Amino acid sequence: MFRIALKSILGRKARLVLTSLAVILGTAFLSGTSVFSATLNRTFDNLFQDVFKNIDGYVRSTQVVEGDFGLIERQRIPADVVDKVREVPGVSDAVPDIQAFARIVGKDGKPIGSEGAGPPTFGSVAVEFEGALWTITDGRFPNGPNDVALDEASAEKAGYVVGDTVKVVAQAGSREFTLVGIASYGDVRSPGGATFALFDVPTAAEFLGKPGFVDAILVVGDGTRSDEQLAADIDAMFDPDQKIETLTGAEITKETQDDIGQALSFFSIFLTIFSVIALGVGSFVIYNVFSISAAQRQKENALLRALGANRGQITRSMLIESVVVGLFGSLAGFLGGIGISKLLSVALPAIGFEIPSGGLVVNTSILTTTVIVGLAVTVFSAVLPARRAGKVPPLAAMRATAIETAGPGRTRLAWGLGCIALGVAVIVAVVTGASNNLLGFGIVFVFVGTIVLGPALARPVALFLGRPAERLRGVTGSMARQNAARNPKRTSRTSAPVLIGVALVTAVSALAASINGQISDIFTEQFKGDYAISTSAQGFGGLSPDLAASLSGIDGVDDATGIGTVLTRIDGKGRTLTVITPETIGGNFDIGLVDADYSVLDKNGILVSRSLAERDGLEKGAVIPVTFGDGITRDLTVRAVYENDDLAGNRVINRESFAGTTVSSFDFAVYVKLDKGADSARVRADLQKAVDEYGQGKLLSKDEYIDEQAGQVNQLLGLIYGLLFLSVIIAVVGIIITLLLSVFERQREIGLLRAVGMTKSQVRTTVRWESVITSLLGAVLGIVLGVGLGWVIVFALRDQGLTSFEVPLDSTVFIMIMSFVVGVLAAVYPAWRATKVDMLDALNTN
Amino acid sequence: MTSPTLTVAASASHATKTYGKNEGVVHALDNVSVEFYAGQFTAIMGPSGSGKSTLMHCIAGLDELTSGSAVIDDVDLSTLNDKALTQLRREKIGFIFQSFNLVPTLTADENIRLPLLLGNQKGDEQWIQRVISTVHLNDRLTHRPSELSGGQQQRVAVARALASRPRIILADEPTGNLDSTTGSEILKFMRMAVDELNQTIVMVTHDPVAAAYADRIVFLADGKVAGEMLEPTAEKVLDRMKSLGN
Repeated sequence: MFRIALKSILGRKARLVLTSLAVILGTAFLSGTSVFSATLNRTFDNLFQDVFKNIDGYVRSTQVVEGDFGLIERQRIPADVVDKVREVPGVSDAVPDIQAFARIVGKDGKPIGSEGAGPPTFGSVAVEFEGALWTITDGRFPNGPNDVALDEASAEKAGYVVGDTVKVVAQAGSREFTLVGIASYGDVRSPGGATFALFDVPTAAEFLGKPGFVDAILVVGDGTRSDEQLAADIDAMFDPDQKIETLTGAEITKETQDDIGQALSFFSIFLTIFSVIALGVGSFVIYNVFSISAAQRQKENALLRALGANRGQITRSMLIESVVVGLFGSLAGFLGGIGISKLLSVALPAIGFEIPSGGLVVNTSILTTTVIVGLAVTVFSAVLPARRAGKVPPLAAMRATAIETAGPGRTRLAWGLGCIALGVAVIVAVVTGASNNLLGFGIVFVFVGTIVLGPALARPVALFLGRPAERLRGVTGSMARQNAARNPKRTSRTSAPVLIGVALVTAVSALAASINGQISDIFTEQFKGDYAISTSAQGFGGLSPDLAASLSGIDGVDDATGIGTVLTRIDGKGRTLTVITPETIGGNFDIGLVDADYSVLDKNGILVSRSLAERDGLEKGAVIPVTFGDGITRDLTVRAVYENDDLAGNRVINRESFAGTTVSSFDFAVYVKLDKGADSARVRADLQKAVDEYGQGKLLSKDEYIDEQAGQVNQLLGLIYGLLFLSVIIAVVGIIITLLLSVFERQREIGLLRAVGMTKSQVRTTVRWESVITSLLGAVLGIVLGVGLGWVIVFALRDQGLTSFEVPLDSTVFIMIMSFVVGVLAAVYPAWRATKVDMLDALNTN
Repeated sequence: MTSPTLTVAASASHATKTYGKNEGVVHALDNVSVEFYAGQFTAIMGPSGSGKSTLMHCIAGLDELTSGSAVIDDVDLSTLNDKALTQLRREKIGFIFQSFNLVPTLTADENIRLPLLLGNQKGDEQWIQRVISTVHLNDRLTHRPSELSGGQQQRVAVARALASRPRIILADEPTGNLDSTTGSEILKFMRMAVDELNQTIVMVTHDPVAAAYADRIVFLADGKVAGEMLEPTAEKVLDRMKSLGN
């Protein structure tokens, strides 16, 4: 049997290639992203190994405030610590290090690097030192309050050369410096695409952070003792209540590597999720191809059965084929994956994500994983078709044609409807109060049910969708329509990948449209200013708190007020608080204070949202101990409760609460209210001038600002669309394969049609419309499912404040048009093949 | 041999078809010249490998001659491109094959009208109705091929071949897959099409009984014309075939 199986595979090389194609696509993406992640990890590991290679010790504060999304704010240490460290025996040299938010403003007045979404923008220290992280490649180290050095990549991007005047924006505002040097980080022009403005220590402390404080101290030993000993000796210099710790060079290297590894792991988890979706969609294609090939070989298998092969032998022979296909496909996919990762490592720097140079990391574990996963998915997808092939009765050998004629069986209907009913029941239960966690099950059941029911739906829906084709194209359209409906199982399996992709895209679009609408509503209700200066730097950096003050002075401006955030620790948990200036915020931002106005918020006060107050039983007068980034805990008294927590979050404090400390805080926006009767156009021009001078942030009118905020969701959407594009490609490949196999199966029919007068273009039309109908079938069912799914997700997020659901009409129209195009494109090659059918061959195979 | 009052519907002159090259060359047709007359039922007979199917395929424009020419309705097929050939098959030729004559997704009625539908033509409705009732298919029109018996399927094929009133109908072993009763029924319909509907039929067959329905038989052997017979009977045909070494 094994030899027969192998012969059968080799006898049909074309089909082998087609089946493998689906496996290749799925595994290529999987191995490509693995190779890329591994490469990225190793190159960053090497980079930090290199950068810290001369560092023997790293002194820093033990005090950390951790916020959401892995944000960390470590307390700063007094600058004079460095003098004490230098005195420790065994220390050859020690210099302070500072790293904080700073943006380099380009020659065009716009900051370099993308805001928010892109790699971070830093200000840091560059000094001449044995263990220096930065080496100067042109000019000299900065030395003095007017000097700055830039990383090579940023300098080149902005077109700055030594001697130029460069504007930099940081927490202390914006300032102009003279560019005295160009620096590189290890052998990298700019690590990870981040931008760096580099200063000497006092300038960095004053401009980026707090005068007299630094982030850490880099230590180089004289070689008289081990790094561990050195670290212990340094630690011994400080009292425990100074909360200072010393890491060895190896430890800080490891920690930095782990940090970047963690940051990169989000990236690879994200990619892995889409690899899994791609593989899942691919498994449908594989399943489909095996099913079709089982049907086409029905006669052959029946003959084998008649000649004495038992069921198991037929099934096994098909499984052997799937193993060969799986192995071949995964290996080819692995090679393809190396290509993909090569492509990624070329494409990413092109969009500004600089990666340290270094060869691709291709290891056996990636190869093994790819082959195992590819093999498992392939064999798993082939199990059902193989079993079905084994069940073919020997008598089928004598029957005329092998077309899957069986309609949807009762069992199928029962299972499909049962699954959907169960899923809907779970969803209804959630809607009426059961836990949200059950929602996933409900959704999965509905999906599975729809797919099980697919063959039953395929015929009527395909016939319905094919009507226009028939009206438009006459008998060719009619044949396309009938062809799409003649094998409902095949058609539904072919359209399933389209269905899944479209359902996901539709659900995400529905969610985005709903969030979008909601954000608009919220801003319209709560944002009362006339203008806003907005920055999309979320979590890291932002606008200097000085900006609002400078805008207030403009003639015609009633109030300009900064809205910021600060990272704190409350009850041991990291919390981001909203920071406001009570004196100027009144006319700009309405958070719905209950029986109070902003003036109640003094430097020892805090405002809490109603939902938090109710949850924690907080009332006016309650005291909340809040630990800030300087390590100091301040007792803040609840002064009032407010209703609108959509924008302000649960806690609002006065900027004065931590004024004059080392706590870093940025504004994410400045809201501007004009005087009554002010000349809006003139004030806008003045505001624009001030913002330009500052060098960062976008001046927007009320409507523009609301649109911008609501539109932020769309950026995320773009990314998801991009990745789901992959499943679309697999869906297209699936349609191509099925059409090719169908064309092959219908050779005689096509030959007959050609003989009695069908032109080549009519043959193409028939194949094309069949493809379009199949694709639209998936799209229509996918949209129905996706809208439902979107509604359910929006509903599940009602506690997060999402109250309105919107159907993404424009995306839906777009998807329908796209699936039409997909159908047309997928048909190009199969349609061409169909015209190549040899009429005589087709007619002579009696 | 030929009566001067007859018009030629299709003809082959010096038709040669070879496969392979040099020593391995096979002459499927070797300088065959033959005419088929309008309003006649002609059978082409010969043993296996005599080239009868090749001759028919070349006259039908399904296959190309190596040299010589095939003419239908005064049009030399070698001058036509694929599109024009397709149109000619659709409008001037009706086909009946041995099996797999019908498109499984179309109803009997649609199959009958297929050449007209493909050409976006209405056709002569009165004629079509007459054809349908001649082959007794009135109550089967909405059925799909899978719901029809073998004989019914061939009747649909006959009706399709007639529907567009082609210049010539080419039939390739039309009864080869049928039992003798059903087969003779089909042959009677074909005879009727010639006698009553004044159609032209050329049929390839190796069955003397089937050939006996024809007005005239052209014998082929080894790719050459090996004689003719007018007003054949099954016995006469059988004798002749024996002499051809079948």
